[in-house]
Amino acid sequence: MRLKHSIKTAYNGLAQNAARSLLTILGIVIGVTAIILVMSLGQGAQNLILDQVKGMGTRTVIVGGGREPTGPSDAGQIFNDSLKKRDLEFLERRENTPSLKYVMPLVFGASGASYQSDTFNLTIFGASPLMEKIFDMPIKDGVFFTDEDVRARAKYVIIGNKVKKELFGSDTAVGKIIKMKGNNFRVIGVLAERGQDFFNFDEAAIIPYTTAQDYVLGIKHFTRFITEAQSEALISSAAEEIKITLREAHDLTGDEKDDFFVITQVDLASRLSSITSVLTIFLAAVAAISLVVGGIGIMNIMLVSVTERTKEIGLRKALGATQKNILTQFLLEAVMLTGIGGVVGILLGAFLSWGVSLAIRTFTSIVWTFSFPVSAALLGIGVSALIGLIFGLYPARNAAQKNPIDALRYE
Amino acid sequence: MPLIEVTNLEKTYVNDDVETPVLHGVSFNIERGEFVALMGPSGSGKSTLLHVLGFLDGYTSGSYRFDGKEASTYEGDATALIRNKKLGFIFQSFNLLPHASVSENVALPLLYSDVPENEWAKRTIDAIEIVGLTHRRDYDTTRLSGGEKQRVAIARALVCNPEVIFADEPTGNLDSKSGGAIMETLQNLNEKHGHTIILITHETYTAEHAGRIIRIKDGLIESDTIVTKRRHTDGGVLKK
Repeated sequence: MRLKHSIKTAYNGLAQNAARSLLTILGIVIGVTAIILVMSLGQGAQNLILDQVKGMGTRTVIVGGGREPTGPSDAGQIFNDSLKKRDLEFLERRENTPSLKYVMPLVFGASGASYQSDTFNLTIFGASPLMEKIFDMPIKDGVFFTDEDVRARAKYVIIGNKVKKELFGSDTAVGKIIKMKGNNFRVIGVLAERGQDFFNFDEAAIIPYTTAQDYVLGIKHFTRFITEAQSEALISSAAEEIKITLREAHDLTGDEKDDFFVITQVDLASRLSSITSVLTIFLAAVAAISLVVGGIGIMNIMLVSVTERTKEIGLRKALGATQKNILTQFLLEAVMLTGIGGVVGILLGAFLSWGVSLAIRTFTSIVWTFSFPVSAALLGIGVSALIGLIFGLYPARNAAQKNPIDALRYE
Repeated sequence: MPLIEVTNLEKTYVNDDVETPVLHGVSFNIERGEFVALMGPSGSGKSTLLHVLGFLDGYTSGSYRFDGKEASTYEGDATALIRNKKLGFIFQSFNLLPHASVSENVALPLLYSDVPENEWAKRTIDAIEIVGLTHRRDYDTTRLSGGEKQRVAIARALVCNPEVIFADEPTGNLDSKSGGAIMETLQNLNEKHGHTIILITHETYTAEHAGRIIRIKDGLIESDTIVTKRRHTDGGVLKK
């Protein structure tokens, strides 16, 4: 029997019970929709995070105090105060770090900012004028502070776009005085709107790091050093130079552990993307359970269908159908059911994911792009067809093994 | 060489270790072109005999040679193949596929055959013409009368051009007029087209349309006689 006719026979079998066939595939449709939705949104989230990290510049190498956090129990290490002024001086020496273009110290902490009666909670970044270049942050209004301002511990502040809107509305912000942690700061610049990014600069205030350490946060150490390698080829040697320099500065010898961590932009990107990948796989696996449930539904209905059509099976056998013919017919019915369910699920999942990305873009400032992983679609089709094969096999074997006489006599 | 040679055929059903003997040693031959009626009351074993002859069931002992070859040497797909190529079946309850047209029903055995696909349409049309249903070719079978349904079943039995047609109480579910037409069609197939026909019935007046009657009782052949005055309905009704 040719495949063409097997497919037609299977199709006719399904079409005779169209309503039941449709209800049967719902489980598969829902399962595949969930998988596609999760994978598509996961991909979107990953793209978003990677874009933000890439916004830092591919040559960026970040140095942090404490050991690199490797799990939730290490979270406290983030606040380690091992990066000191002396380390900055060591790193800035050309002979120590020939592969580095520059080093920028960074401190940050949370604070409220108030202007007249309005208060807004923001993140304070203490930085140097290099900040403007490293993070590519155009000033919409006003200027950035200078190295001179850093030395003078000037109480100047550049505010993010959202901070400006919340505190000043449509009024001019530049030249006004805002209050943070009991200090008056003069607004000298406003950042252009950035949308969602890694550090959320729209809700930040940037001040000289010296001012931040002495007047706002009251600390002597740095939270991070943001550095840039001379070229992409020099990223790993830059990271190595930083390690050697800091170990020397901290008098670490032998196999003493580093009390700092160095991470490149590429490391960061791959780490973040592996986190989102794991999350996506986990959620997709949860969604896959519904596919198994759907498969059991298919098996149940196929068993009912085989029993109902006992007489038809007997007739076909009497007319010359082999066991293989009957097996193929019922297996194809199951695979067609799940295959159709898979295709519908993929379309539905893609549509929902597109809707979600549209909603995110419309109602938030996050620049979310809709992405539809082809691998997910192939997986969806493949898995649903496989479910059909697995759960269709038992009913189809039941059908194929029926004795033609018993089947013909069946009423 | 006879088409069908049955020698000392025995058949015992075993169900949950309970043995039920049905055929106790039956012997007869059927030549090509014969029209034989197997008669007997219910439980006599005539249906079992038909199933064995139709390769739908096996036998316990004795011998059944079809076309010179022992039936028990066929296994699995080989029995499916011989049913498809050499045997045609007509059932009391028609057994048509619902929601399918007359043509689709008649063409069903071709799906499982090795007949080239370009011959399918012609074979189907020809078979439908022989049973006189050309005007109903595209009808859904649910719209046909009982007699018409049985003629579709006959066309289906013919389409692979079998050696033997087995008809199991073909008029049992029909009124006497439709039944008469069916018997006329079967006679026609036998006399004009030379088909070998084995008919099962429990009614003498139906059996007398055949050329020979084998009466079965309690799993044994009671009599095997030639019908001297064959009945012909000739457009009339099937009557006692």
